[in-house]
Amino acid sequence: MDILKEDLKRQIIEQLNLEDITPEDISDDNLLFNEEGLNLDSIDALELIVLLEKYHGIQVTNPDEGKVAFRSINSMAEYIRKRKS
Amino acid sequence: MNFVTGYCRLNEDFCAVNGEVISRRHIDSEDSWFKQIYKEQEFVYPKFYKMDLLSQAGFLGAELIKRGNLRVASSYPDDEIAMIFANGSSSTDTDIRFLRSYEGNSSPSPSLFVYTLPNIVLGEIAILNKWYGENMFAILPNFEPGFFINYLNITKAGGSKAALCGWLEILEGKVDVFLFFVEENEETGTPLNAENLTSLFNQKPSIN
Repeated sequence: MDILKEDLKRQIIEQLNLEDITPEDISDDNLLFNEEGLNLDSIDALELIVLLEKYHGIQVTNPDEGKVAFRSINSMAEYIRKRKS
Repeated sequence: MNFVTGYCRLNEDFCAVNGEVISRRHIDSEDSWFKQIYKEQEFVYPKFYKMDLLSQAGFLGAELIKRGNLRVASSYPDDEIAMIFANGSSSTDTDIRFLRSYEGNSSPSPSLFVYTLPNIVLGEIAILNKWYGENMFAILPNFEPGFFINYLNITKAGGSKAALCGWLEILEGKVDVFLFFVEENEETGTPLNAENLTSLFNQKPSIN
């Protein structure tokens, strides 16, 4: 089990108030902004930026980076690891 | 002539539809009061959880009125239902929550920020129901029947055939919500006048 990815799922559920969803419902490669994924919206994207700063100390200043990083749990984890390395 | 054909009353302790209590607050529940109603009534609209209290109250009131009066959802084109809402405290309850969200060096919450206007509740209801009629949200000192009656006439002149009206006062734990649906020539309802609106607003609901 990848602890960072599991933490991210819990953090997303809390930060975005996804009360009907459990971490088990989110697969690592689910597209976060797709109807077949979590169907997040633009306000949720802002919350993800807040989440990265709040839980991981990472500031997303380049919108293009966010677009790639927020595709899925996999890409978020990859982005966090890259920024921290 | 206009008639009130459905109404919902919500305060800190109970939720009533058309004069009958459908839900009572469980003090020992882990869920917020509005969430208790949402779950008890088996609504399925995940966006509810993201809404502020004003929008949650508007959502619950509108949906419960629709359940009690099927004409609301089926008898009008999408631009013939107006929405006329008012309250005394605007979005102050959410403004305070937003302020608190970034105290202590935390980041301001974007999802709270979007609710720091009172008329967002109208947008939430309009999006859900695809209602594109006239709408307005007024800030008034108290529930004022004359405001709704006068503004209904204005929306009627603009082509509206029905209206969802609401007094949505929510501030720091206090809840005083009254939503009512108004239609023309539906004589099964209560005639719309100041006396009847005041009476429905102050009505003590019965327990079913």
